[in-house]
Amino acid sequence: MVPCAAVHVAMLADPPLVGYRCSPMSETLSRTDPMPADDALVRVRGLTTRLGDRVVFDGLDLEIPRGKVTAIMGPSGTGKTTLLKHITGQMQADAGEVLVDGRDVARLSREGLFTLRERIGYLFQNSALLTDFDVYENVAFPLRQHTRLPEELIRNIVLTKLQAVGLRGAARLMPSELSGGMARRVALARAIVFDPMLILYDEPFVGLDPIALNQVLKLISTLNQTLGITSVLVAHELAAIQRVADRVILIANGKVVASGDPQHIAQDGSPWTRQFFGGEADGPVPFHYPADDYAVDLGLKEPA
Amino acid sequence: MNARVKPRNILVDGLAQIGEAGLFLPTLLAAVPRSLRYFRETVRQIWFVGAMSLIIIMTSGLFVGMVLALQLYHVLAIFGGTASTGTVVALAVYRELGPVVTALLFAGRAGTSITAEIGLMRATDQLSAMEMMAVDPVAYVATPRFLAGVVAMPLLCCVFSAMAILGGHLVGVTWLGIDNGTFWSNMTSNVHVWKDVIDGVVWKSLAFGAVVSLISVHQGYTTPPTSEGVAYATTRTVVASSIAILALDFVLTAFMM
Ligand SMILES: Nc1ncnc2c1ncn2[C@@H]1O[C@H](COP(=O)(O)OP(=O)(O)O)[C@@H](O)[C@H]1O
Ligand SMILES: [Mg+2]
Repeated sequence: MVPCAAVHVAMLADPPLVGYRCSPMSETLSRTDPMPADDALVRVRGLTTRLGDRVVFDGLDLEIPRGKVTAIMGPSGTGKTTLLKHITGQMQADAGEVLVDGRDVARLSREGLFTLRERIGYLFQNSALLTDFDVYENVAFPLRQHTRLPEELIRNIVLTKLQAVGLRGAARLMPSELSGGMARRVALARAIVFDPMLILYDEPFVGLDPIALNQVLKLISTLNQTLGITSVLVAHELAAIQRVADRVILIANGKVVASGDPQHIAQDGSPWTRQFFGGEADGPVPFHYPADDYAVDLGLKEPA
Repeated sequence: MNARVKPRNILVDGLAQIGEAGLFLPTLLAAVPRSLRYFRETVRQIWFVGAMSLIIIMTSGLFVGMVLALQLYHVLAIFGGTASTGTVVALAVYRELGPVVTALLFAGRAGTSITAEIGLMRATDQLSAMEMMAVDPVAYVATPRFLAGVVAMPLLCCVFSAMAILGGHLVGVTWLGIDNGTFWSNMTSNVHVWKDVIDGVVWKSLAFGAVVSLISVHQGYTTPPTSEGVAYATTRTVVASSIAILALDFVLTAFMM
């Protein structure tokens, strides 16, 4: 498929490059289309997932509104990454359904899933740039795989996206020559190369210095505001989240335990939010990993 | 991905890995039509694994040929048959040592590198990133490397064999003084293209190429995503490949006799 932006560039190109059309899929992104009745882009219902002998999700229900930034928070190991994998169909649930733009992800064919993924940008926890290619080729990779655009047009698109993340000058660097923050911005440029309807950010702030963190934060909010891209942001940094997110969903023990406006969620008074945002070591999320009786372990008491 | 733990017994583990790799073969082969789109990637991989192994294979070939000629000359001297030193070197190399030693060296040089490369791609989420960019990592990463191994092995075996015969000539003719004409004419009249050269250099090599690259790709593809996982996977590639090459060699030889 050919991204809309590519078509715009194609029309400006000299001589005009005709014959590149937006696929019907990406037309739903166009601003002139009437808004679909359903204002949730992602709808998760009764999601239940077991990994090994661990129940990760236990009847999880949540909705991601269109055009908004939704932050997902929760203790490490609650399954935030797993949730993103369900949304993109990289993982199958044991029960329940995940609807993305009205389609049940689990029921899509391989081709259907790949078509859906072309409309979803995914920012991996560790950038996941292809180490064989330089920055330019990393961003061009999806275009080369899915389009037959002429080199000149690919160049235009790639440089536009790199300019958007401020790294046009780094186009010829290899991934190993980038700092963590730069790698994440390149990964972001790659994720938006098809002008997706949805971007999933998995812990985009981890390991960034305050300057790089603010740069990524600014990009998230620009992409959301100027392009209207629905964003799902998995992160632990409440201060950062309060600056970009429209809504926060707190997940723990396989369920949504709190959700609401990021400015006020920390004060909603439930034991979960008190422990999570207060950073208390013990509470509904126990400090102790489940274990046998301490006294028995130390040999001070006979096992029951 | 199955989380595999430290091997309890390296031999048993190696056999188990050969079995698991066999189960991975249908997945790889099913992706061949899709990987034709990435034909250039396959060519790049052939160049890559070939060039990577070339120096070590040339050097080893030369020394294997030299030592063979040296040993055989003295054994054949007992029967007064030193004139056929070249023939015996050529037969040993084409039928056995060429394909087997090339495959063992290839496993150690290119196989481990394929495993480590794919394993690191797994550990750094590059394979998942491809999935997310709607690119099938089996067709783009695994199958081209598998095909490259199958194509490169017979070519490398030719190079190995040529170097071995050159080594045999160096020792036999240049050093020990066998007549040059006798060396070549004895060889050309006793070595048969179909029975010796094609069976060994082509068929055995193709089979070993398939087995070694299958094991290497499978080990990389199923590596637990940790640095320890990658380290074990490369070791497993060498162990499982070596067992598979030597066992398969016996079976193939038995059928070819
Ligand atoms: N492939 C897997 N097999 C078994 N358990 C897994 C697998 N992937 C993740 N898990 C477990 O599922 C839980 C959720 O993981 P994850 O989604 O990565 O958590 P988070 O991103 O919230 O930190 C963790 O306890 C993890 O150990
Ligand atoms: Mg995670």
